[in-house]
Amino acid sequence: MRVPLAGAVSAAIVVAAAAIAPRFVEAGALRLAAEILLAIGMAQMWNLLAGYTGLLSLGHQLFVGVGAYTLYEATQRLQIAPHWALPLAGLAGAAAAALLAPALFRLREAYFSIGLWVFAEIGYLVVSKTTALGSTAGRPLDLSNLPDVEAFQAISFWVACTIGLGALVGVHALMRSRLGLALLTVRDNELAASSIGVDVWWVRFPAFVVSGFGCALAGAAYFMGAMFVAPDSAFDVNWVVMMMFATLIGGIGTLEGPVIGVLVWFALRELLTTVVGLQGGWYLIGMGGVAMTLSLFAPRGLWGLARQHWNWRGWPMQRSSLRRFTKP
Amino acid sequence: MPPLLELDAVDVFHGDLQAVFGVSLRVEAGQALALIGANGAGKTTLLRAIAGLTPARRGTLRFDGYPLAGLRAERIAALGVAMVPEGRLLFPSLSVEENLQMGQLTRRAGAWTLARVYELFPVLREMRQRPATRLSGGQQQMVAIGRALMCNPRLLLCDELSLGLAPLVVEEIYKAFARIRAEGLAIVLVEQDVARACAVSDTMLCLLKGRVTLAGPSHHVPRERIAAAYFGE
Amino acid sequence: MDWITTAVNGALLGGLYGLFGLGLALVFGVMRVVNLAHGEFIVLGAYLGVFLVAAMPQVPPWLMIVPVALAGYAIGWGLQAGVVNHAVRTRDPLTPLMLTFGLSVVLRNGMVQLFGADSRAIDGGALTSTGFDLLGMRIGVYPLLVLLLAAALFAGLQWLLRRSEFGRVVRATADAPEVARLMGVAPERVFNRVMGLALAFAMLAGFLLAQRTLFTPFSGVERMLVAFEVVIIGGLGSFWGALAGGVVLGMAQLLGQKFDSNAGPLYAHLVFVATLMFLPKGLAGERR
Repeated sequence: MRVPLAGAVSAAIVVAAAAIAPRFVEAGALRLAAEILLAIGMAQMWNLLAGYTGLLSLGHQLFVGVGAYTLYEATQRLQIAPHWALPLAGLAGAAAAALLAPALFRLREAYFSIGLWVFAEIGYLVVSKTTALGSTAGRPLDLSNLPDVEAFQAISFWVACTIGLGALVGVHALMRSRLGLALLTVRDNELAASSIGVDVWWVRFPAFVVSGFGCALAGAAYFMGAMFVAPDSAFDVNWVVMMMFATLIGGIGTLEGPVIGVLVWFALRELLTTVVGLQGGWYLIGMGGVAMTLSLFAPRGLWGLARQHWNWRGWPMQRSSLRRFTKP
Repeated sequence: MPPLLELDAVDVFHGDLQAVFGVSLRVEAGQALALIGANGAGKTTLLRAIAGLTPARRGTLRFDGYPLAGLRAERIAALGVAMVPEGRLLFPSLSVEENLQMGQLTRRAGAWTLARVYELFPVLREMRQRPATRLSGGQQQMVAIGRALMCNPRLLLCDELSLGLAPLVVEEIYKAFARIRAEGLAIVLVEQDVARACAVSDTMLCLLKGRVTLAGPSHHVPRERIAAAYFGE
Repeated sequence: MDWITTAVNGALLGGLYGLFGLGLALVFGVMRVVNLAHGEFIVLGAYLGVFLVAAMPQVPPWLMIVPVALAGYAIGWGLQAGVVNHAVRTRDPLTPLMLTFGLSVVLRNGMVQLFGADSRAIDGGALTSTGFDLLGMRIGVYPLLVLLLAAALFAGLQWLLRRSEFGRVVRATADAPEVARLMGVAPERVFNRVMGLALAFAMLAGFLLAQRTLFTPFSGVERMLVAFEVVIIGGLGSFWGALAGGVVLGMAQLLGQKFDSNAGPLYAHLVFVATLMFLPKGLAGERR
C-alpha cells in the first residue's frame, strides 16, 4: 500500500501528539478523549457490519460486555496487568461472533438485528445472575499486578488511540481488499453476488467476526479505563444506540461517517449536559429525534450531504478483483 | 363533445430514463385504440401514466375534460379508469371471488356485477373460492379482466392480454373482449399480436422507442406501413 | 404437581405474550415494517392505565381497557400518517428500522423524564388476586381471563381479515400496494388503520401486563424482544402460531424462574434460541 508523503507526515504528527498528550493534558479531558477514540473504534466496527456488509446490528452491546468481562476475569485469574488481557478480550468477542453466526445468519434483515439483541440480553442475564462474575452489583478491576499505577492513565489513553486509529486504518485496508469488494457486492445484491460465484456466508462471517473482535476490544479498553464494570453498563443497549446513531448522523457506509458522527454525538452530549445543564436522559431524547429526522430526510448522513452538495471526497478506496472469494 | 381520453405531448420517465417522448392521442367514448410496438417501445409506461401509477413529467392528460396531472392512481380509478395490468398481477392472498370483489371499492355504479362477470367467464364461478394464483394463465387473465370490469369503468386499459397464453385460450379471451366492447366501453389495448390488435380496435397508434411512428384508423392499413412504423425503417 | 401448576400458569401467561406479538406481526405482515418502538408503546399503555385508574378510582380498573385501546388506535393512526408512511415510501428497508429505533430511544428516555424511573403497577383489585382450585392446581382468575381475552382478540382479528371487506383490502394491500391503487385503494390509509390496530393491541396488552407485574420505562425492551420471539417461534405469517408461541414462551419463563429464581426472562430467550436452531420455520412453518 503506497502511502503518500502528506499522509505519512500527518500520521507522524498524530502519533507524536498522542505520545506526549498524557503529560500535558489533565485527567478528565484525557479520559474524554479516550472515550471518543474508543467510540470511533466501536462505530467503525458497527459500520463495517451495517454499512459495508448490510447487516444492521441492534445487539453490539453483547461484544462490549463480553470484552469487558473477559478482561476483568482474565486480569484476575491470570494475575496479569489489565492491558495484557486486551487481546484475550478481543478474541472473546471474535469467538462470540463465530459461535452466533450459524444461528443468526439464518435471519433476514430486521430479524437478524433483533436476534442479535436477544443474544445480548442473554449475555446480560447470565452475567447478572452469576455471583462469580460479580452479578448485578458489578466488580472492580484487579489492579494488583499493575507495575506502575501512575502510568496506567497514560497506558489507557494510548490503548484508546491505538484502537480508534487502528479501527480506521483496519477498515480502510479491509475495504480496499478483495474481501471488501466481495462485501459490497453482497451488501448491494445478495442474489446477484451469489450468482457470480461469491460465497455469501464466507464473506459475511469474517466481517462479523472482525466486527465482534474490534468492538470487544474497544469495550474492554473502555471498562479498563473505568476500573469498574457492572452488567447494566456493560450490556447497556445505549452502546449500540451510540454506534448506530453516530454512524447514521455521520454517514453510513463511509469511512469518514462514523468519525464525524461520533464527534457530533459527543459534542452534542457535552453541550447539552455541561453547557445547557440538562440531565443525561435529555441528550438521548435529542439524539433519537435527530436519528428520526435523518432517517427520513438525510439517510446518507452529514457526510452524504457533504458529498452530494459540495462534492467532498475523503479517503480514496480503490479495489482489486473478487477471485479469491468465489466458490470452487 | 370532448374526447373521453386526450393526451397532448406527454413525456414519461421510468426512473431517470425517458420512455415516452411527446406522445399525443385521443380516444372517443365507446372507441377502442390499439397501442402497438416492439418491447421497450414505451407502451406499458404510457398506460401506467394514464392510470396514474407513473406521473407524466410533461404534457397534459385529460379524462372527459378533467386534467389527470398530479392525481393519484386511486383517484383516477374512482373517476372511471380501470386497468388490466401486464402479467395479471392478481392478489395471491385473495381468492378468485375476493379478487373480483376488490373492484367494488371504487363504489362506482354500473352494469358490471359479480353475477355478470361469472356470466361472462363461467369457469370462474366454479373456482371462486380458490386462491387466485392457483389458476391457469388464461383463467387468471379472466380474473384480472373481471376485476377491472367490476370497477365499472368508462375507460379500460388492457396491457398484453395474450401474454404467455396458448392460442386457444387467447381466442376465448378475445371472444369475451368482443362482448365487453359491445357494451360500449372505451378501451386502450396494448397487444403484441398486431393483426389481432388492429382487428379488434377502431384506431391504432404505433410506438417506437417512445415516439409515435404511425397513427390512424386500424383497418385498411397496408402491412408494409405497419412494419415500417413498428421496426423503424 | 407444583410443576404442572407452574406450567399451566405459564400457558396462561402465554395469552398476554401472544398479544404482545400480535401487533408486531400485523405491522410486519402488512407493511414489512418492524416497529422497534413496539415495546415502548406497550409500556406507554401501562402508564396510561396507571393514570386513568388513579384519576377515576370509582371505575373498575378492567373497564379502562377501552380508553387505553382507543388511545392506542389514535396514536398508531397518527404515527403512521405522520411519520411511518414517509419511511415506507422510501422503499429502503433500513429507513423504518432507523426511524422506529430512534422513536424507541425518544419514548424510553422521554418516559423516564416524564414519569420517573421507579417501578409502577396497577392494582386490579379483587380480580387480580383471586384464584380457584382446579384438579389440585391453584389457577389465577386474572391470567385465565387474559388468555380468554387474547384468544377472543385473535379470533376477532382473524374474522376481520378473512371475512370483512376491510380485511380483503388489508390483505390485497399487503400483497401488492400499487395494484391496490388501481382498485381505488389508498395504501397509506390502509396502513394508518393497521398501525392503529397494532398499537391498540400493544397498549391494551401493556395495560393488562401492568396489573400483573411491576414495570418501568425500561421494560419496553424486554417486551419487544418477547413480542419478536413470539412471532418467530409461532412462524412468520401465522397469527394462531403467535398465540402458540406465546404459550411456549410463557411456560419457559415461569418454569425457568421456578427452577432458577433470579433468571428473569433468560429461559424464555434460550427456548427462542433453541427454536431458531432446530425449528427455523417456527411452529406453524412459514406461510407464503
